[in-house]
Amino acid sequence: MAMKDTINVLNRMAADGIVSRYAIGGAVAAYNYVEAASTDDLDVLVSLDRFESTPGSGLVTLGPIIEYLKDLGYDTWEKEGLMIEGWAVQFLPVSNALSLEALEQAVDVEMSFFPSDPIISTRVLSAEHVMATALETGRPKDFTRLISFIETYDHDVERFCRILTHHDLIDKWRSFCYRFEIVDVCLDNKGLR
Amino acid sequence: MSEPSIDISDILARKSEGRRSLQTLSMAEKILRMEALRNRLSPFKAMREGRKSASSEDAPGSAQRPKDEILDR
Repeated sequence: MAMKDTINVLNRMAADGIVSRYAIGGAVAAYNYVEAASTDDLDVLVSLDRFESTPGSGLVTLGPIIEYLKDLGYDTWEKEGLMIEGWAVQFLPVSNALSLEALEQAVDVEMSFFPSDPIISTRVLSAEHVMATALETGRPKDFTRLISFIETYDHDVERFCRILTHHDLIDKWRSFCYRFEIVDVCLDNKGLR
Repeated sequence: MSEPSIDISDILARKSEGRRSLQTLSMAEKILRMEALRNRLSPFKAMREGRKSASSEDAPGSAQRPKDEILDR
């Protein structure tokens, strides 16, 4: 049981048309850019294009995914995640403009876990979208992740500021900068205009 | 009593060098390391879960959440 098997299941689900698109977000997406931090779950952003959305109920909307995985034998829940090959996978339907954009602009990543293994492809949120999503979510661990990006990852500042502006996150960003004594790189950035 | 004056800048420099080298690992390498860490920590997690259930059994109907649960969130 390993995450490579979890990703294979996600890819199979996408190939079978259960979701039109998916992308890894949260702590595991951050692995693509910054130092790894411990996590218990795998956040997966999914597109609901093919589903009949039920306003106000993400769980009902995820019905086809849950049914599909149940048929494959994955029906154990741990906290809010469905256990797939040892990882609690939390499916997050696209729920606002930021998550829709994050999914659309996710990047393709090819991974090779062992030299003898075949390469596994997956999609991961862009660094700037991981950062913006962390700011939007706003729990202490999200702020820790955001600080890690700011301090150690050479992100696209202009793109980041543009995302914050476009999704009305600038005030939240300003509060974050003030609270953690971080230089407000968006103050004079062209992305704001 | 005078304050100790030990220069730890070399230790801090090594620490940030280590963080930089961890950052440059591939995503697959980071996942493998995280899974190894999870395996090593699983006995502690099991102990914590055990304490949680023991605590909830000790105080049926208690509105107070176990400290571990609060710290986990």
